[in-house]
Amino acid sequence: MRGLPRPLIYRLIFLFCGNLVLLLLIRLLLKEGASFSQVLSRAGPDCAPTILAGLGMTGIILTGAIDLSIAGIVAVSASTFGVCVYWNLPPLVCYAVCAVTAWLLASFNGRLVRWLGVPALIVTLAGLTFYRGVALIVTDLGIPDFGGNLSVHADQYHEPGKLYAGSILAVMLAFAMLWEAFGEIPRRWLALGNSREACCLQGLNVDHILQSAFSSGGIFFAAGTLIEVTQIQAIEPARIAVGFELQVIGAVVLGGTNIFGGEGCYLGAVLGAFFLYFTEQVLIYAGVSPYLQDVIIGGAIIVVIAMDCALHKKRKRLEELA
Amino acid sequence: MKKHFALLGLIAVEVVVFNLISAPPLGSIGDALNYFGSYFADILSQSAPILCLAFGMTLVLMTAGIDLSVASLTALVACVMASLDGGGGSFWVTALPVGLALAIGLGITNGLLIAWLDLPPIIATLGTMIFYRGWCFVVMGDAEKAFLVPGYEVLGEFWFVLGCVVLLYGIGSAYLTRSRWLQEILFIGGNRVAARYAGLRVGWRLCQVYAFVGGLAFLAALSFTARNGSVSGSALLGTELQVIVAVVLGGTRVQGGRGSLIGSFLGVLVIAILDEGLRSSVRWGDAYLPFRVSHLQFILLGLLLVLGVWINSRPRRS
Repeated sequence: MRGLPRPLIYRLIFLFCGNLVLLLLIRLLLKEGASFSQVLSRAGPDCAPTILAGLGMTGIILTGAIDLSIAGIVAVSASTFGVCVYWNLPPLVCYAVCAVTAWLLASFNGRLVRWLGVPALIVTLAGLTFYRGVALIVTDLGIPDFGGNLSVHADQYHEPGKLYAGSILAVMLAFAMLWEAFGEIPRRWLALGNSREACCLQGLNVDHILQSAFSSGGIFFAAGTLIEVTQIQAIEPARIAVGFELQVIGAVVLGGTNIFGGEGCYLGAVLGAFFLYFTEQVLIYAGVSPYLQDVIIGGAIIVVIAMDCALHKKRKRLEELA
Repeated sequence: MKKHFALLGLIAVEVVVFNLISAPPLGSIGDALNYFGSYFADILSQSAPILCLAFGMTLVLMTAGIDLSVASLTALVACVMASLDGGGGSFWVTALPVGLALAIGLGITNGLLIAWLDLPPIIATLGTMIFYRGWCFVVMGDAEKAFLVPGYEVLGEFWFVLGCVVLLYGIGSAYLTRSRWLQEILFIGGNRVAARYAGLRVGWRLCQVYAFVGGLAFLAALSFTARNGSVSGSALLGTELQVIVAVVLGGTRVQGGRGSLIGSFLGVLVIAILDEGLRSSVRWGDAYLPFRVSHLQFILLGLLLVLGVWINSRPRRS
């Protein structure tokens, strides 16, 4: 917590308490015979794709960039995974192809932003639709007479998602926290997000810093994608992970990361993802219509961020004056 | 102006390529005139909702904002109007005013979140996009509801759409281009802090822009439902991307401060012709391509967006 801006610390405390309140509500709403410990043990694996993608996204947003194409990346990775499964390749090869595809595409986004000099928002918004098209074409080319979805029944192709999701999440989370606490690169992302000019004057290579955010974000995306793809029974390139980017950005922004860069932390993304997940669980246990759940979650994102913005409006105006 | 000619060239290339692939054999000049007349009429009627939304999105991008919720907002207005449709003439005095008030109200909500609470536009409209889409499903469930109002389909026909387009992009854009209002919008987009210090009512202007987008979303909902005849909770899903691509392709800067309404009109035509062209090339695609030709739409849409922004940012870089 040391060194974090005060508003961010308040946000983390708010989310931590919010998560506790939500857990309490879940405990109260649980019916007889249902196990609370089971709810808790399921939370990690269920949230793993969002948390891991959120960690990657946090790094990218800290630099002042953004990656809106993660749903498209998941779709391409799922397609390559599906093609490998269709051709009966060994599970390890399928996992490797899926993860490497996600990492390569995320890194490629960074390169594109640098080469074209176009805002990351636009490059990755284009990537969102471009990669979806690539995913559809890959499955059409790789699987003869592809009908729109491919069922993956064999258990050995679901191990990362169903057996090791919690462990993968724990390892990646520990790595991220240690890196953030002791690594130099995350601090450079913050510096770039705060002032590109200052970084240039300091002699830092801003292109390399930006690329490092996308490439290391790609590692987290790869892990999250692998879990997401191996958790599902059928691969549908047209539908898989639709809206995933909104969920991830929602978690990151809820976690206190400034969407314009220069402020934020990994812990915020984790707490934000759990906050959204537990809110959804409370609504499910309370028997709220699934249609109303999106309304409440969308409303929650707006309310939390609006409260934060309203509280800091005065400070922002004073900064403008300075 | 050069960019407009480039867009017209792109439209011409698209028309030639797609018609070479899929047009029926044309025996005489009369046949050709008839064919292309109905072709362009169809394109215009089909793209009416995007044309309405693109006009509003251009103004929003000029203020250095973005509105990701336009498609959800339009769908919600359409869903609410459908739920109030009892099949009789009362639709015109109940559902229509309610739809208009709702659309403007939701637009003002976006404006207040951005102008009053200082929320980043992308975050505010991301939240309202999920929120409004959720309400669409709350109102409609999984059902698809048909519009049974007699005479309603006229709102989706070519002549009505043409009238709207002339009103918006002809008269409206000519008026706005000379207006002080648009100059202030561009000033706000160019440098919001400077605009505030110059004494402009930044918050009020932003609210006006987003309320105007709401009004245009109402028009888009009318043209969409009149042409389709029905609406569901998932209507217009992903349309916001098409709108943004069209506007950016038309020469509007995503960083604000510069834009072109006529450019956005041409951008929408590029997207609409591409969409229609790929849809009518299915047979050709099945014969010559190893994948479904419709998948190319996703790829081309992405490429056009990057290309449009890259071209727009070139003079700034130099």
